[in-house]
Amino acid sequence: MTSSIFMHPAALFLVGALLLPLFRKFNAQKIWLVVVPLLAFLQIKYLPASFGCVEWLGFKMQFGRVDQLTMVFLHVFTLMALIGSIFGLHVKESGQHVAAWLYVAGSLGTTLAGDYLTLFIFWELMAFASVFLVWYRKKKRSIEAGFRYLLVHTFGGLVLLGGIFLRYQATHDLSFELISPDTATLAEYLIMIGFMLNAAVPPIHAWLPDAYPEATVTGAVFMCAFTTKTAVYVLARGFAGFEALAIMGAIMTLYGVGYAVIENDARRILAYHIVSQVGYMVCGVGIGTEMAINGACAHAYAHILYKALLFMGVGSVLEMTGRSKLSELGGLYKYMPFSMIFTVIGGIAISGFPLTSGFISKSMIIAAAGNNHQLILMCMLSLAAVGTFLSVGIKLPYFIWFGPKDSGLKPKEAYWNMQVGMFMAAFMCIFLGVYPDYLYNMLPYAVHYHPYNSYHLTETFHLLGFTGLGFYIMVKYLKPHDVSNLDLDWFYRRGAGWFMWVARNPINAVNEFVSNVYQTVGLRFTMAAARALSWFDWEGIDWALDGSAKGIVQGGEQVRQFQTGKLQQYIGAAVALLFLVLIVVVLI
Amino acid sequence: MIVQVITYLRERSAMMKWIFLSYLAFALVFDFFADRHHAHFWGDHVIGFWAIFGLLGCLLMIVFCKGLSHVWLERDTDYYDK
Repeated sequence: MTSSIFMHPAALFLVGALLLPLFRKFNAQKIWLVVVPLLAFLQIKYLPASFGCVEWLGFKMQFGRVDQLTMVFLHVFTLMALIGSIFGLHVKESGQHVAAWLYVAGSLGTTLAGDYLTLFIFWELMAFASVFLVWYRKKKRSIEAGFRYLLVHTFGGLVLLGGIFLRYQATHDLSFELISPDTATLAEYLIMIGFMLNAAVPPIHAWLPDAYPEATVTGAVFMCAFTTKTAVYVLARGFAGFEALAIMGAIMTLYGVGYAVIENDARRILAYHIVSQVGYMVCGVGIGTEMAINGACAHAYAHILYKALLFMGVGSVLEMTGRSKLSELGGLYKYMPFSMIFTVIGGIAISGFPLTSGFISKSMIIAAAGNNHQLILMCMLSLAAVGTFLSVGIKLPYFIWFGPKDSGLKPKEAYWNMQVGMFMAAFMCIFLGVYPDYLYNMLPYAVHYHPYNSYHLTETFHLLGFTGLGFYIMVKYLKPHDVSNLDLDWFYRRGAGWFMWVARNPINAVNEFVSNVYQTVGLRFTMAAARALSWFDWEGIDWALDGSAKGIVQGGEQVRQFQTGKLQQYIGAAVALLFLVLIVVVLI
Repeated sequence: MIVQVITYLRERSAMMKWIFLSYLAFALVFDFFADRHHAHFWGDHVIGFWAIFGLLGCLLMIVFCKGLSHVWLERDTDYYDK
């Protein structure tokens, strides 16, 4: 059975990543970059339901567990790996591709894992590989952001590991199955918090908008797809139906979109918007009905494609102009028309225009909330949809491509491979909108939902149209400024600074003071105390016992005075003694 | 080609405004004919409910978020580097 591990799609990416420098040496890196993800995309259809079961140190590990829920995520992950690799073809550094593929391997491994131990290994691989996608930007900010990203994920990993240990102690079973909210204990909640950190659920979300905007152009395209959606998968697998998730998810949708409305950096807007979109999925998982789980999976599938498309679009602008702040961009449609069209397709898809993938996926979760009579959740999700169209559907493309002012930049159109990547993602956005059954047939449960009914259409026409009117009225007020906004990462970014300040100043000063006091006062006191104790020992204790110690010392002194050290006296004494002995012998 | 079309349309903002407004009118008219069998709550039965929801939601969100940003959250981009 061990050999069947090699059919694992993660193994394909691991081996592919290791061989990549070799292919680069023979000028075949670009071919290899397309072949490996393509193979993985084709191969996942032939995976058996269970494979790669290993006994290790008495633990049963299962590297491959495939069902409908796994399949939909595998499908989009491998497709995204292909699109992302094509988008990054022009990058010559093998290291970036290796990091990206190890990251993909971690994500696929987590998705296929049948037990917590396997899951944890791939989970950590994901965090450690993806941080290099931030560091490869090689700017001071990126390196700092990467370290923060790594620290936060290490913390999340430890919480997850703690939960796994507690669960093993209680049940002696590490298999990764659905957990019922009724039987959940501290162990299960720790595992859930570990998962939620990767899903960027507030208040543990700030790592995402901190790190993603600092990643490389291609790195951000990978990162926006895998970490959060793998977390959605493991939540759907283990924690479907936890009401806390439904509430947190709905809060997430509004929290993320609120920041997307006010941010200035295009990639920061998109990063905050991931928080919002993943909120829909977390909410769907929390509602937990068949329709909601279907909606969460469908939305994950659609979201990966259009969010990657948007990251590719603004990434192209960043690559070509070196800028990503809305306040420094504008009027680029004349120079990068194809990138503009693809990005706008991403923008209308994420907003849920009819005939795009957002229309057929997001509405499933909202309708599931409605069918479950959770009206407050439903209204929160609808409001987030308004904010989505406002921030990413209109504001972002408007200020980059058109805008009230022309930035004066005259960039070239993006590289051909970037355009191919964007085209593939844009095609999928439209294709899924026109032919939703392609996606619906992959979902874990049978779908009884028809997105193209007249009521859903009119609702969408209204929401989008009148949001557009709102933007038109307020466009002057929305003009971007070169600022960034505080978020909860303030606590550990400022907190770490304070900690270091406290360590350097007050704690250090107290340390110096205490050491001075000890040297001047403490040392003398110690000596005096030692002398007093010694006297007490000498006089007090010996007297209290029997005076033997003093007696021995005095006896010793007398013996010492006896011994003069003069040889003639010793010889005389010895002769006298001998004489004495002779007398005694003779007389007796 | 696309560039010329967009430039042409951008130069005629009044026309674009009328096209947009007539789309909004169409959306409101369409609402009268929508099938409301699968309504989730009372709002689904009100003609134009989602229009008001969208417009008010959008305006309130802009005012609230932008306001919060101005009075509290807004910092220089190198705030943490200082």
